[in-house]
Amino acid sequence: MIALLGRSLILLALVASSTGALVGLAAGWRASAKGAVLARRLAYVFAAAMAAANLLMVWALLARDFSVSYVAQVGSRQVPDWVAVTSLWSSLEGSILFWGIVLGGYVALATWTNRDRHPEYMPYAIGTWLACGAFFSFLLAGPAQPFHSVPQPPVDGPGPNPLLQNHLLMVVHPPFLYLGYVGMTIPFGLASAALLRGRLGNDFLRPLRTWLMAPWVFLTVAIVLGGWWAYEVLGWGGYWAWDPVENASFLPWLTATAAIHSAILTERKGILKGWTTTLVLASFLLTILGTFMTRSGVFNSVHSFTQSAIGPTILVFLATATIWSVFLLAARVNHFAPEGRLEGARSRDGVFLLNNLVLVLFTFTVLIGTVFPLLVEALRGVQMSVGRPYFDRMAVPLGAALLFLMGVGPALPWGSATGEQLRKALLPPLAGAAVGALVGLAAGARSPWTLLTLAFAGYALQVTLREMSLPVRQRLSRGEGLVPALVAGELKQGRRRFGGYVVHAGVVVVVVAIAVSSTLGTSEELVLDRGETATVGRYHLTFLGIDEVREPHRTSLAARVEVTRDGKELGVLSPRMSHYDSQREPIGSPAVRTFLFEDLYLSVMNLDAGGGRLGLHVFVNPLVGWIWPATGIIALGGLLAVLPPPRRRTAVSRQPVTPPAGLGPAPSESR
Amino acid sequence: MNRKVLVAGLAVVVPLIALLVLNLGRDPHAIDSPLVGRVAPPFALVPVGGGEPVSLDSLQGRPVVLNFWATWCVPCFQEHPLLVSAARRLGDEVQFLGVVYQDEERNVQDWLDRHGSSYPTLVDPRSKTAIAYGVIGVPETYFIDPQGRIVAKHIGPLDGETLMARLSQARGGAPRASNAP
Repeated sequence: MIALLGRSLILLALVASSTGALVGLAAGWRASAKGAVLARRLAYVFAAAMAAANLLMVWALLARDFSVSYVAQVGSRQVPDWVAVTSLWSSLEGSILFWGIVLGGYVALATWTNRDRHPEYMPYAIGTWLACGAFFSFLLAGPAQPFHSVPQPPVDGPGPNPLLQNHLLMVVHPPFLYLGYVGMTIPFGLASAALLRGRLGNDFLRPLRTWLMAPWVFLTVAIVLGGWWAYEVLGWGGYWAWDPVENASFLPWLTATAAIHSAILTERKGILKGWTTTLVLASFLLTILGTFMTRSGVFNSVHSFTQSAIGPTILVFLATATIWSVFLLAARVNHFAPEGRLEGARSRDGVFLLNNLVLVLFTFTVLIGTVFPLLVEALRGVQMSVGRPYFDRMAVPLGAALLFLMGVGPALPWGSATGEQLRKALLPPLAGAAVGALVGLAAGARSPWTLLTLAFAGYALQVTLREMSLPVRQRLSRGEGLVPALVAGELKQGRRRFGGYVVHAGVVVVVVAIAVSSTLGTSEELVLDRGETATVGRYHLTFLGIDEVREPHRTSLAARVEVTRDGKELGVLSPRMSHYDSQREPIGSPAVRTFLFEDLYLSVMNLDAGGGRLGLHVFVNPLVGWIWPATGIIALGGLLAVLPPPRRRTAVSRQPVTPPAGLGPAPSESR
Repeated sequence: MNRKVLVAGLAVVVPLIALLVLNLGRDPHAIDSPLVGRVAPPFALVPVGGGEPVSLDSLQGRPVVLNFWATWCVPCFQEHPLLVSAARRLGDEVQFLGVVYQDEERNVQDWLDRHGSSYPTLVDPRSKTAIAYGVIGVPETYFIDPQGRIVAKHIGPLDGETLMARLSQARGGAPRASNAP
């Protein structure tokens, strides 16, 4: 019964989205107001059907209704309700269903907020979004159908992958990832609309930037949450390993970051319209590439391509969308008339361009490293993998270059600058650079790259704070009070700008933490007999014994390690070694204690069954604990930049006064 | 139509998609062992509980099933009954050998007492043999033909069908690449 209802809802979503895609594109082409209304309605129907299908699945998971195939596959009577709910996205079919509700939500919200704006673009955008919606509905209706009926339902199911049950971060990481990934569909639709329309005006850059920024924030948070999860759960002492799944989420992040910056230039100067559009299209296509690469990955087995029917289907979509994007771009980009020109390389404009080039270079570097093993295997039939050394060697200089530009760019004025202006802008932050490098030297950093990164960070931080406080300082000098100046200067008028600089400040902290933690950390492997004490740096570690913890799906051995630092007792840490019924190898769960400047990270290497001897991997990781709150700062800055401005009246007055007449397609010979 | 954009775009996109299409059927879990088709690394290991060392050379003339396992490994426990019954049934036709992987001899003895065995289990001091065979995790099983060449490698727990298929290879089939769990 539920299975049948679910299948019907998915069919409804498929019909609504595929019809809506055709109606929307046709309405854009023929400038039909009626068609636009119908497309909007179909977008809402698609969203509602997806939402209902998801709710139905959650209900079936909670009711442990094993007559629904997906529930029989991942449900279990043994697991608590919160695990039952999160198993919605723990396996392939459910994750596509969840994709559906996120896409539906985004499409509905983007359609609704623009319901009486941009009439010449929106039907095209809705059409494009619903075309993507139609593809995912098709996946759900066919290759990834979660609502098959199970004729003889089992009494109980196996439950979701245990690795995904053992930490709260795994509950929040996937939704954020989807909000980031799926959200890139919205700017893709808007950019496609601009291309189809043959125009990218300033009025339309505002929604484009907003809808680019929102998924960017989610994607940023998701990437860091994934790293945090790996750090807290996997026990190898790090948070990023350049594996294909991680790279898959990093690629669209890089292009979206580039697009956000290039869109600022487009908005200010009316230039680089085609380039901005390309980056937006690429960000979406890379999320689909990532989905292809991880389609079973994140959910079933961590890092793999497996042979499932859904793979070829996603590949067909990826290929179609990519080739379509290239043709669309080639056919229409000449219609984008530049409204200005790039002035002087020694200006903020020039640095924006450089930033874009470095980000794109970074994207290609990561992309090549990720697909290179495929190339080698296809050509020579030899298996290989591209390891950390390649990525680290490439990422360190690229990251340092970006940090450098992040300092220099905002310091420079827009347009061309005189030598005097340049000196005034660029010289004072050298003080920040010196402080950064000196702090690094004092903390024991000797690697030139680390010192360089710290110097760039000091420079960028000083510039960022200077720019951030500029509106307030201007208002204060005009005699306004501190609080009114803060509110008016940062939260009301210049909020988007302020948000941008908050993001920059967070990024500086994250980059510093990455540079320091990857070069200044120490680690030691110890073998301790019961009662034995060892010293690692400032820490004394005593192995007290082990506890056996039995749970339904796993058995854990927890080592009790008493820790003192500089003679001060810090209590007992319990790194564990867990055996899951469904896993071949035991999985260690590290114990992490975070201090202001470093983490003490204990991971069990081996334990003998009697509990008399412990092999312990001890890491002292400086500044890793800064990455997580700094990401919060980035997210906060992003939110400040993205939330709709409180001044609705001015927003309306910015609308173009072009009448809807004559909004039809550009001359057809250009097609 | 902007030809430059078209050509540049296709030049980036088409090879990438072609590459993905070519790799569609690939299974990254299938790790080719360079040893398949080669002479099996020799060893002479003492059985659990002591006794004369068992060497691979002394077993020539019979196919050998070499199973790396540990008491802390749940899938090893799952495949154990299959190996025990197959070894009983096949008797002298095939030599089954267990090799202990990163475990204590005392635990292994207890475990074998509890779960039973029908073939020798060997102790591998400092994992030398496991390293020579390139074992990356347990259980991992190597199938060696009567001439002492490795004909197949299996990662993960065995099922009856796979065991029989690999055994017939070891008795005289062609060497084949490893396969996935």
